[in-house]
Order: sequence, then structure tokens, then C-alpha cells
Amino acid sequence: MLHWERISVLICKEWLELRRSRGLLLSTFLPPLILALLALGLIFAMGLVSDPDTAEIPAAAIDPALAGLGLEALAQVIFGRQFSTLFLLLPMVIPNVLASYSIVGEKNRCTLEPLLAAPISTGDVLLGKVLAAIIPGIALTWLCALIFAAGLGFVAIDPAVPGLVLHPGWMVMLLLASPLLALISVALTVMVSARVNDPRSAQQIAGVLIVPVMLLFFGQMLGLFVLNPVVALLFSLVLALVAVGLLWLATQVFQREKILTRWR
Amino acid sequence: MNAIECHRLTRQFDRLVAVADLDLVIPAGTIFGFLGPNGAGKTTTVRMLCALIAPSSGTARVAGFDVQTQAAAVRAATGILTETPGLYDTLSALENLTFFARLYGLSAMQAAERAAHYLRLFELWERRHDPVGGFSKGMRQKLAIARALLHDPPVVFLDEPTAGLDPAAARAVRDVIKTLRAGGRTIFLTTHNLAEADELCDLIGVFRTRLISLDTPANLRARLFGQSVRVVLAGPAAPLAPLVQRLPFVSEVSAEERVLLVRLANPDQHNPALVRALVAAGADICYLEPFTPSLETVYLELIQEAVTVNGSG
Repeated sequence: MLHWERISVLICKEWLELRRSRGLLLSTFLPPLILALLALGLIFAMGLVSDPDTAEIPAAAIDPALAGLGLEALAQVIFGRQFSTLFLLLPMVIPNVLASYSIVGEKNRCTLEPLLAAPISTGDVLLGKVLAAIIPGIALTWLCALIFAAGLGFVAIDPAVPGLVLHPGWMVMLLLASPLLALISVALTVMVSARVNDPRSAQQIAGVLIVPVMLLFFGQMLGLFVLNPVVALLFSLVLALVAVGLLWLATQVFQREKILTRWR
Repeated sequence: MNAIECHRLTRQFDRLVAVADLDLVIPAGTIFGFLGPNGAGKTTTVRMLCALIAPSSGTARVAGFDVQTQAAAVRAATGILTETPGLYDTLSALENLTFFARLYGLSAMQAAERAAHYLRLFELWERRHDPVGGFSKGMRQKLAIARALLHDPPVVFLDEPTAGLDPAAARAVRDVIKTLRAGGRTIFLTTHNLAEADELCDLIGVFRTRLISLDTPANLRARLFGQSVRVVLAGPAAPLAPLVQRLPFVSEVSAEERVLLVRLANPDQHNPALVRALVAAGADICYLEPFTPSLETVYLELIQEAVTVNGSG
């Protein structure tokens, strides 16, 4: 049985610590906002300069909805779609950084034993730490996506561009896949935390997680597939299965006895 | 009522036996000193009694709760000062305490009240809003002790509570421990400071994987050294030792420079005869006093005995 009051106390403590760590706060939260603004700036630039290579792209073959767009608008859509995929990296990277500092940090400072001596279950502690890491990660991802979506209306040279960039497949990925990616990222961080003593080592696992998202990125870029809602749902389903499995493994690693006697 | 009861409590890590067949009964309101060398299994014992790790075999009840089947209740009924204070450096003293108070189920208002009470008690109130990272070792230790007491637990485990404290702060902590006993709390004190254990503890357990001895400090002394008197002479003591050894009520004599250490069955009854015998032999006695060996002497003797008997380190 979960004790939400204690979980919320733990989450508040985690966020208070985060707020006090200015360096971590800025280095984690500023780059995603810059990414969103940079993407808008580049899309705006695409609309200003006509690239003759764009005419070579078999746009209609990739996605019939792109037929009939001007070259600049087409460049904006293609670039916008590729860039929008990168937003899926955020829910993996941000929670991974926060969770690694939270768990490995507690391990290094020897604060885990007093915490585990309290009448709180390890499930509650784990859930508190997972939520404290993924909530800011997902919130920031969605905030950046919102800025990107809102800004797209201003920088698009064709009113059809925003609708074509922010397509249903991307929406599904953003709303469904990003929380799952965040969960996977934190579950892996918990497992790695048992073995490492440096938050940066725990963060290396984000490198592994980037692979499936980069496959989506390059797959779209090369025209191998279009991220339609069906592909996005299937991708999310696979992620959900992986997330459940990894979370179960994380709960096995995050046991009072193991933390105190096996974690090194 | 007993605060702690263990029956054949054992913990094994793979092939290493950390704690073996520990039988222990500690009455409520006792300060129990748990003494033993480094690596003796003291931390493992405390972790089992705080329901942090499970025993391999045997049973234990703390504050009336079984450590295996009622682990959450045991944790709620115990407070623990771990080897390292384990405080959150970026949080203030007040935030550290209120966080733990809330984890122990206190309401926000109760948490604030208790935190304020202990911050004042340990003279940290003026620094309550400062990040703990800037605190001295002594201040951190006091804050960690306050954290162990916040939820008013009937049983408190303190691991080296005065380590690193200046004499005044150490005295303040010892006074707090005595106050806790007066309030009916049971203190399980793990320490290498034997003078402190001697001053505070009602019951001493000497431990090295197994419980070597369990008794009051006075009984431990009496058991090992009997009742002894120290006779300080004006001249060398060694020539008089054989004479004293021949007295029927003397069980053991040792001489060092001007001092005779004489073990007697009953000093009150035999001291006059001892003095008469020494004076008759021409000794000039400066003074005579009861000899109380330090707890350190008793401890080292017990550990040495255990090594000899078990033949292990």
C-alpha cells in the first residue's frame, strides 16, 4: 500500500534540494529551453532562404499531405518534423540527470541509511524519487514543446506548416511515449546507481537510451517511415512493456537490505 | 517490560558470520552499552534491531514488535544515530528535521514544534535557517541526534554519539542521554569511548560476533578483578608481596614500585588484618584505597579472554 503523504514529503524534499543546487538546476533546465528557441530560429531561417536541394526531395511520396507546398514551406515542415523528434530526448535526459544526483548523491553522502530507518517502505521511497525526477522532466518537455508549437505559428511562412509539423503521430509520442521514456530512463538509473559512486557514471546510460529516438530521427530524415499515430502507438506500446519490466527490476535492486549491504 | 529481546539472533553474509546466536534482554529505561572492536558485528546487530536488515536466523523484538514481521512498527518505535550523521547539506537544520519528522508521520505543525524544541535543546536554534553543509562536525552530530529523537521513540540507537564533539558539547550530549533515560527511554549505545560507557551505562554487553559478557559495569569489574585494595607504601612494595600472598584471605597480589595491589575476599573485614600484617613487617603505609579497574581494563581483559578461548580474531 502506498503512503502518498510520505511520498509527497519526499518529493518536496527532493525538489527543495534541486532548487538549492543552482548549478544543476541551470545546466539541466536551460538547454531544453534554448533548444526550443533554436529550433524556431532555424525554422524561421528556412522560410527566408530557398534551398534548391529541397526540390529534389520526393515529399509527396514520403507523405502525400506535403504535396503542393512551396519549397520554403516544405523545408520548414521537413526540418520542423526532424527537430520535433529531438524533444523526445528531453524526457530521458532530464529525469536521468535528476535521478542520478538524487540516488547516487544520497549514496555518496550516506543519507540513505537514516532515510531507510524511517517507517517508509522502499516502494514509497523509490516512487518518490522516480516521481521527483520524472515530473520536472516531463513538465519541461511539454513546456518546450508548447513553446515550439506556439512559436511555429509565428515563424511558419505557410499556415499549413504548423499542422504538418505537429502531426498526430508526434502528439502521441509527446503525450504517451515521453513519460514512458522518462520512466525507462529513471528505472535504468536506479539499477546503475547500485554499482556506481558518481552521478555522471549513472548518466552514461542516457547514451544507450538515445539510440531508439535517434532511429526515429534518422528514419524520418531518410524517409524510411512517417511517424503516424499507428507507428507512434506501437512504439509507445513497446516502451510501456520495457518500462514495466525495468521498473520491476528497479524495485528488486532498490531493497533496504540490498542498499545497505550490497550497494558499493 | 523489556525494550529489546533477542533470541539466538544470527546474521550471515555468504560464508561470513557477522553475528552469532545473540541472546540479549534489555529492560526498558536502560542505557545499554554495546562494546566491541571494529568489525565485531555491532553495526549489523543494530541494523537487525532497527529492522533495516533481516536476521539469517533467530528472533528479536524491539519495543514489543518483531523485527521481521512488524518491521514498519519497529522503525516507527526506534530512533537511530548512524555512524555518519547523514544530513542533507543543502537543506537548513530546520528543513532537515522537519523532513524527517514528517517521514515519521508527524503533522506539519507537530514537526515544526518538535524541530524547534530539539534545535533549542541542542543550542542550534540561532543557526536553524543555515544550510547544514556549513555546520561543524559537532553541530552536525547534535542535529543527527535531534533527528533520532524527533518522533519520541521509546528505543534509541546511538552509534558513537559524542565522536568528534568538543568536551562541552560531549557533556551536553551525555546529559541529554541521561535525561532520556530519566524519561523512560531505552538507549542502545555503541561506543569505543569506554569512560563514557562507564559513566552512562546501566548494562554493558561486550561483543565480538558473539556476546562475550553481559552485566552491569560493577559486576563485570567484580567478576574479573574481584574486590581489590591498593596499598601505597613509603618504600618499595616488591619485598612485601610474598608476605601478603601468604595471608589466608588474600587471593592475589601484585607489586609495582611503591604500590601493592591486593585482591581480597572481603575488604571491609580483612583490611585491618592486612594493615596489621604490613606494619608488623616494618612497612610504612602512606594510605590504602579501594581499587576500581577502569572499564577499559575490564573490556580489554574480556576481549583477550574471548580471543584465547575462541582462538579467532
